[in-house]
Amino acid sequence: MNIADRLLRKNISPARIAGFVLSNFLGLAIILGGIQFFIDAKSIWEDDDSFIRSDYMVINKRVTSENTFGGATGFSTSEREDIEKQPWVKRAAPFSSADYRVSASLMQQGRGLSTHMFFESIPGDFVDVPASQWRWRDGDDEIPVIISKDYLTLYNFGFASSAGLPQMSEGLMSGIPLTLTLRSDDGMRGVQFHGRVAGYSNRLNTILVPQEFMDWSNARLGTGRMKDPSRMIIEVSSPGDVAIKDYMTEHDYEIAGDKSATSASFLLRVVVGIVLAIGVVITLLSFFILLLSISLLMEKNRDKLHSLLMLGYDLRTVGAPYRRIVILASVGAWILATACVFLLRAFYLPAIKGLDAAPGTVWVMLAVGIALTAAIILLNLRSISRKVISAWRVSR
Amino acid sequence: MERINEIRLRGMLPEVFADEDIPESDVWDNCLELYRGDNYLIEAASGAGKSSMCAYIYGARVDYRGELCFNGKDARDFSIADWQEIRRRHIAYLPQELDLFPELTAWENIQLKNRLTNHLDDKEIECRLEELGIAARRDYPAGRMSIGQQQRVAIIRSLCQPFDFLFLDEPVSHLDEENNRIAAAMIAREAESQGAAVVSTSVGNPLLLQNAKKLSL
Repeated sequence: MNIADRLLRKNISPARIAGFVLSNFLGLAIILGGIQFFIDAKSIWEDDDSFIRSDYMVINKRVTSENTFGGATGFSTSEREDIEKQPWVKRAAPFSSADYRVSASLMQQGRGLSTHMFFESIPGDFVDVPASQWRWRDGDDEIPVIISKDYLTLYNFGFASSAGLPQMSEGLMSGIPLTLTLRSDDGMRGVQFHGRVAGYSNRLNTILVPQEFMDWSNARLGTGRMKDPSRMIIEVSSPGDVAIKDYMTEHDYEIAGDKSATSASFLLRVVVGIVLAIGVVITLLSFFILLLSISLLMEKNRDKLHSLLMLGYDLRTVGAPYRRIVILASVGAWILATACVFLLRAFYLPAIKGLDAAPGTVWVMLAVGIALTAAIILLNLRSISRKVISAWRVSR
Repeated sequence: MERINEIRLRGMLPEVFADEDIPESDVWDNCLELYRGDNYLIEAASGAGKSSMCAYIYGARVDYRGELCFNGKDARDFSIADWQEIRRRHIAYLPQELDLFPELTAWENIQLKNRLTNHLDDKEIECRLEELGIAARRDYPAGRMSIGQQQRVAIIRSLCQPFDFLFLDEPVSHLDEENNRIAAAMIAREAESQGAAVVSTSVGNPLLLQNAKKLSL
């Protein structure tokens, strides 16, 4: 070790540096562990439905016996406006429903299967499917359709087994040609299309077609009578908000689909948020420990720094030992924390895989770790440069 | 940076003297030019500002009025990097308080400067220690040496670099006449070989340098 380095390392307190490494390791491990767990566990709730984001909700009015005999379940214009005014609503849109009859038929192993069905649509920007797969233009023969997963389940476990039909996987179902016959209410006009199942949704209890197709077909086959929409899709700011629940109860609305997933995913966010906050506080404290110990060390060695600068040593050279400490300690703490997260992951991954969810990527965790470590290092390096310059000016 | 041939002090005055009546001086509030190759001896009572002058010229302090120019360039415009280069290649300085590191040995104190400039080899340093009679103290911590021995270590350290001007602030105040003469001869030899100027100060025990122009402060 050269003589100048040896001089400048005088007064280093290994205990303080170890204190930083330990607390920074703890803080980083909590932050990175929290992030990684969130990314891995998120799929348990969210993996199912890639078509509709978790902060979307589908609502409808509760059907009572009154409705059956008259009394509409549609949302009137004033009710729609009232919903849009709620503070927890980011945006809302009504479902459009087909104003004509639809029947679907499919041929399988020489046996035909035909059923009446219906279409609904929502504006395209509520549907999380690449635009290329969720598009219909006038003249297209094929209509992309998103159907409820429940329908497939009903078919497979209810209908197919009793009717002696083969059960079908999602992939197989999507491959079967579906013929859709659209007929106006009076039966005078009709048109045929091919259907393609673009996906299955857990949270949309409907058969969804692109909005463009709905507009086109309603204009062509519909009666022209405007009905109030019976369902609304809304984007909410926080799915767990109690105000939402209260509002729904008060107006006798129902939230469709899997609400527990939404609440669980919200709860997961809250818990991860709390854990991250704790990690951030500890990391921040460890950052100050390092900043203060290096400052104190340089303060104690100020005369030495000054004397070396008087001999003609560069600012860079006299700051080097302190920069080395900062970089080694920070990078060391980061490596320890990252190793700890991977270890933790090895313990919980089997459990997550057991819940039939796919583990997420580790890149986000690595990037956040590198970014935080870089920030800690850069801020400390800046403080070191300032201290060196102040030692240069000590008697100026 | 080219060699410094001339240092000019015009109207220079430490700020603390600004409101005081100061006696007639060759340095303060005057025009003084120091040339490379000449030797100068500044004699004055203590408190007259000798150390301040050295510190101003070495860039260690800036609490002065007036103008300080190296080769006609105002020293106030120099960057930190400029000053560090001046301290390594152009101006050597032995401060009155010596600025040795007490925990380092004589040898390490000297090497601290020499490794920065690579000016002398180990043998040349050993010869100089021998010449000044402190070779036996080579591996002693500087803090445990007498002031006279420390002064000799500091003199050798100040010679461990190329220089155009060598400022020595009371370099031999604790040396006997014999050692003073030896040190002066070593300093003169080094300065001559580099074509440099030696500026020394004294309060009564001057460095015994031949042909030094006397200046009063």
